[in-house]
Amino acid sequence: MKEFEMREAGQDRKMRAKVGVYVCECGPNIGGKIDLDRILSDLSGLDDYQDVELVVKKYGFLCSVPGKEFLEEEIKSNGFTHLVIGACSPRDHDSTFMSVCSKTDLNPYLYRIINIREHCSWVIDDKEKATEKAESYLRGGIARVLRQSELFEKPLDINPDVLVIGGGIAGMEAALSLSGEDRRVFLVEKTDRLGGVSLDLSGLLPGQGFVISKKIESIMEDRNIRLFLNTRIKAVIGFLGNFEIELVSEENAETTDIMAGAIVVATGCSLSEPGVSDHFSYEASDEVYTSLSVEKMFSGDEGVKLRSGEQPSSAALIHCVGREEKNYCSGICCSYMMKLAGLFKNQSSDIQITEFYRDICLPQKDDQERYKAAEAAGVTFIRIKDISIKGTDVSFEMMNGEKSKQSFDMVVLAPALKPSADTEELADLLTVPLDEFGFFQEVHKMTNPVGTSTDGVFIVGTAHGPKGVSDSMQFARASAGQILTRLIPGEQLIPEVKVTEILEAYCTGCGNCLEVCVYGAIYSDDSRGISVVNEAVCRGCGNCFGSCPSGALRTKHFTNTQLYQEVDEALR
Amino acid sequence: MEKSSEIEFTPAIVGFLCNWCTYAAADLAGSSKLELPPSFTVIRVMCSSRIDHNLLLSTFFKGADGILVAGCHPGDCHYGEGNYYARRRFALLKKVMETLDLAPDRLQLSWVSAAEGKRYAEVVNEFTKKITELGPNPIKNSTRF
Repeated sequence: MKEFEMREAGQDRKMRAKVGVYVCECGPNIGGKIDLDRILSDLSGLDDYQDVELVVKKYGFLCSVPGKEFLEEEIKSNGFTHLVIGACSPRDHDSTFMSVCSKTDLNPYLYRIINIREHCSWVIDDKEKATEKAESYLRGGIARVLRQSELFEKPLDINPDVLVIGGGIAGMEAALSLSGEDRRVFLVEKTDRLGGVSLDLSGLLPGQGFVISKKIESIMEDRNIRLFLNTRIKAVIGFLGNFEIELVSEENAETTDIMAGAIVVATGCSLSEPGVSDHFSYEASDEVYTSLSVEKMFSGDEGVKLRSGEQPSSAALIHCVGREEKNYCSGICCSYMMKLAGLFKNQSSDIQITEFYRDICLPQKDDQERYKAAEAAGVTFIRIKDISIKGTDVSFEMMNGEKSKQSFDMVVLAPALKPSADTEELADLLTVPLDEFGFFQEVHKMTNPVGTSTDGVFIVGTAHGPKGVSDSMQFARASAGQILTRLIPGEQLIPEVKVTEILEAYCTGCGNCLEVCVYGAIYSDDSRGISVVNEAVCRGCGNCFGSCPSGALRTKHFTNTQLYQEVDEALR
Repeated sequence: MEKSSEIEFTPAIVGFLCNWCTYAAADLAGSSKLELPPSFTVIRVMCSSRIDHNLLLSTFFKGADGILVAGCHPGDCHYGEGNYYARRRFALLKKVMETLDLAPDRLQLSWVSAAEGKRYAEVVNEFTKKITELGPNPIKNSTRF
């Protein structure tokens, strides 16, 4: 007599399988399109498994509160060893029924939901064919669930502390949002001061100087923030909840080891160098400046002066420098160039300002006002197709093809923002990929722009891509929100259960799987000559599976045995 | 049992769909009530990169007339770059299929995002049509291998 083996908590025992098969009518969605009574009678009489007892029933709405209570009671009273639910997509209610199982003795991984709604009743018009298909899927489900193994969650202790890399506005905001009595923050800054680029900005928002200095002050006063100036990251290993980081001081090369549960990357950006090219030809002595150096002059006491010491009587503000070459719009230059125009006008109302732009990008709600104010102050806006400068002589082609040339006292360039210099090196240390522009790559542009493929590493501010002060701070808070909800002091973290395991007896230690693992979840155990999966890091994608020449890998809950069984049933 | 050529051939097709994109697209096709062929059976995997050569070949040996593997668009993989690996492995397997007298067209890799319910239906219907035209899998239950 064939019996099914079940592994249970360390000891093997054999028992007769009793499978519950519950089909949800989903009102008319399944019940009206599929002959469930026929399925019930066919499956009840199924003789594929002589040693398996099947209990087959239908119910109106299994996901309803009474439905879940009914199911729980059925599992308990029947003592099912396995459960198959014929209902909707696992994307809808897999977790619903797993929770029901968790309230009983049935391990949630010995249950399977079969999607007979999206794959049958909703897409096959012919009732006869839809019924046949649903029955085939359900038979496959029964065969598959019998091949499934119990899986157990392994909660891990976590470290709630956070490492913030970069002491600019985004890094400071993240550090201040995160620090607390039960959570320390290590704030690491490579230079000798906090504030980053924001220190050089001028008049971005009313009282901004105060905002920045207040933040720096708060950081210095916060006893839960440990500040490391002139310090870089030397090594990082670990995963969400448990990172080990080695810091190195730039001053004396001393290293410090710290532990943290999450890492926030706030390494900022820099301005791209327009450089001398066909379009930009100027000498260092020419009156050609980048926007940031003009910002710096405005934030000083003396305002903007030419090298001669005189105030300029005309200035060309050139937008979109490097946009074509970089292939992205930095999104903030239009706004700050209009701010600079206003600052020039404040300094001397007679100054003649001309802004040359390819497109105007004003995404923030108060940007439009700044544009109107600049226009009202007499700033000239010229949309151009092409532009080149030779010193402070500006040659340009307008949209109608007309070419012209003007000379100015001063030229201000708004170069594209680019990733800061250490981005690549840091990305390597953190095993976070970079995007096509060289910025850190987010998990998803819309749904999770602060997360990265390395769970527990977050990207905020301009390390993620060009953005202004306000967005940088919002990103910082978003990362803090994710960390605060996921790393709760005193609580444990439950890593993915459906991970890959490596069977030591088959592993030759070739390291192919290490190479293809996106998460760095596999490491080489040299003493045993094998590769080992770090289950806390593995996400269970199964990519390593195809790389193994010796069949040593087993992707839990999607094992070969289970998938081959599904194929067999599909082709019966 | 030999099928008479007069009887219309209904192919058996297996679709390995990634959980995050194409399986969700199949859900969308379902909730949009788009018509799909009953001969197409869905097997859900977490990522298209989980599908290895052995699984595909044995699915053919076991009698599948066609196999569709579908996942997230390049650059959109839930796991970063799983679909790139799937694509590379496919290119290799197609070469192997030629040596088995198995038309490489019987295996198709498609990118269908979670938002593309309509496209999912189009891909499945077109692939089914193509496999119907190709006829039965010549190596079904073959003892040659």
